[in-house]
Amino acid sequence: MTRNSLFAKLFSLIFAIFMLAPLVVVVGVAFTPEGFLEFPPSGISLRWFWAILDNPDFIDAAIMSLQLGVASATIATVICVPAALAIGGGRFAGRDALQALFLSPLTVPTVVLGIAFLRFLSMLGLNGTFGGLVFCHVVIVVPFVLRLVLASVTGLDPSIARAATSLGAGGWTVFRRITLPAIVPGIVGGWVLAFITSFDELTVTVFIVNPATTTLPVKLFSHITQTTDPLVASVSTVAILFTVALMLIVDRLYGLDRLLIGEGSR
Amino acid sequence: MAILELRDLTKRFGETVAVDRFTLSVEKGEFVSLLGPSGCGKTTTLQMIAGFETPSGGAIHLNGRDLAKIPARSRGLGIVFQTYALFPHMTVEENVGFGLEMRKVPAAERKKRIAATLDLVHLSHLSGRYPRQMSGGQRQRVALARALVIEPELLLLDEPLSNLDAKLREEMQLELRRIQQEAGVTTLLVTHDQSEAMALSDRIAVMQGGRLVQEATPFDAYDRPTNGFVSSFLGKSNAIDAHVESVGADGTVLRCGDLRLNGPAHGEAAGPVLISLRPERIEFCGEGDGVVAGRVTERIFLGDQWLFKVDTSLGEILVMRRNSGRREPDVGETVHLAWQAEHLRILAVETAA
Repeated sequence: MTRNSLFAKLFSLIFAIFMLAPLVVVVGVAFTPEGFLEFPPSGISLRWFWAILDNPDFIDAAIMSLQLGVASATIATVICVPAALAIGGGRFAGRDALQALFLSPLTVPTVVLGIAFLRFLSMLGLNGTFGGLVFCHVVIVVPFVLRLVLASVTGLDPSIARAATSLGAGGWTVFRRITLPAIVPGIVGGWVLAFITSFDELTVTVFIVNPATTTLPVKLFSHITQTTDPLVASVSTVAILFTVALMLIVDRLYGLDRLLIGEGSR
Repeated sequence: MAILELRDLTKRFGETVAVDRFTLSVEKGEFVSLLGPSGCGKTTTLQMIAGFETPSGGAIHLNGRDLAKIPARSRGLGIVFQTYALFPHMTVEENVGFGLEMRKVPAAERKKRIAATLDLVHLSHLSGRYPRQMSGGQRQRVALARALVIEPELLLLDEPLSNLDAKLREEMQLELRRIQQEAGVTTLLVTHDQSEAMALSDRIAVMQGGRLVQEATPFDAYDRPTNGFVSSFLGKSNAIDAHVESVGADGTVLRCGDLRLNGPAHGEAAGPVLISLRPERIEFCGEGDGVVAGRVTERIFLGDQWLFKVDTSLGEILVMRRNSGRREPDVGETVHLAWQAEHLRILAVETAA
């Protein structure tokens, strides 16, 4: 083990403060008893948390975001596992082109994507529908899933599948018993990252929702353009708690550093 | 009875010929090594036997069955991979039991056979461990147990010891030989390590450029190499260019520059030949008794041996001497070299293949 230098420690501390400060402010504001955004709060009150219950719009939007996140992360994962196995497994014509295609949504500005999706969905008559939203979110989150699944596929020793074959396993058995369990950390990591990305997505979504399919980020965004009450802070706090809880569960099950950084911690 | 027969086995990758009309038969219970430098086609040969590569030509027969029509999963071979290829998410017991599970062996019998095989490789106490909790040597044993538990007709070992450090490798060589003999399994080892091949095998098949160049017992391959490649690849060797001057009943007379050397009787009537002389067959002797004189240019201490480089009129000659505690010549000293004529090997000059 190498000891970090004072400079590195200081840098990490400043970085952590930079990351956490906005969250601390939002959570702090959420507990204010006043009717406006105030930090530090003049007292402790759960008033604005109770207020969420009086605003079913927010709850509906949160449920919509949850459904959208689960649906798009799951579909993206189902697409990306075979894609990653093909791309990571061997050479074939168009392999690099395929990988570039899957990762391309990362390189297009999200505003441009939003306008493009708006036009596209209008042409298909799907604008504002849940199906249309899922479709767009799948496109956005696919690069995240592919990157993580691909990392675990390329980290896999190809001899392992051959060993299973030599012991009498057929193609499907090799996949189900050997390959899939070995890349599960990448799949789970990819799914979680995709879910969070979708749950949090605003720029593209704002172009393609209608009042019936409003997601939580869009709802929060439109709320603060009209009023500045601490309701946005309490909703955000609940969302933060939810995300932290999700991360803790995943960390318990698989170890976050292993999922998001790689197999180094093995 | 030959259990494995390779006949004119050939593999082409586009223009390059990786394996060229390779023919070999392996007897039941025998331990045979495919030995050669990297790129000689030995691994490709193994892949074709295992069913991971399709031959471009020739045939592979195992126990009389033509393997060409049998997919890799149905060949029933035990394979130990260079990387061990253990299933990381399974315990030792589950790894070893996988092949039995695929064969639908009932759980009770499976348990018994796993236990017996783990006992054979001395790993019974670690059956609940995961591969990542084990050392390289232990993983190696698991891989071996996993391949042996299915009682394969043929065990294929692909450079199984190359990932171990030197000391462990020597230990595992002895272990591997013991396990192979106890299990009585016909074994084909692929390796680039000549000492490993010599220590383990009943027979060695030396490969060069996709072809079989010599097939012999380790002793014969070392002592009677058929060409310069084999003699330099198996151990250390002095290669000297010479001409056959005359062939008589009691030996061959060779000319080497100004020097005349006596060699054993040999078929080459005349013309250029290559002499191979093992460094450990050369003695230091008094002036007058020597065949050739030279000056020591380098002296390397190897513990149990000394290795000398001697500059002579025949070129640089390697001399190996057992460390017997005596004082040995130092760098710069003049020495006289002698050997018995029978230790010279007269080889045909290799023409570019």
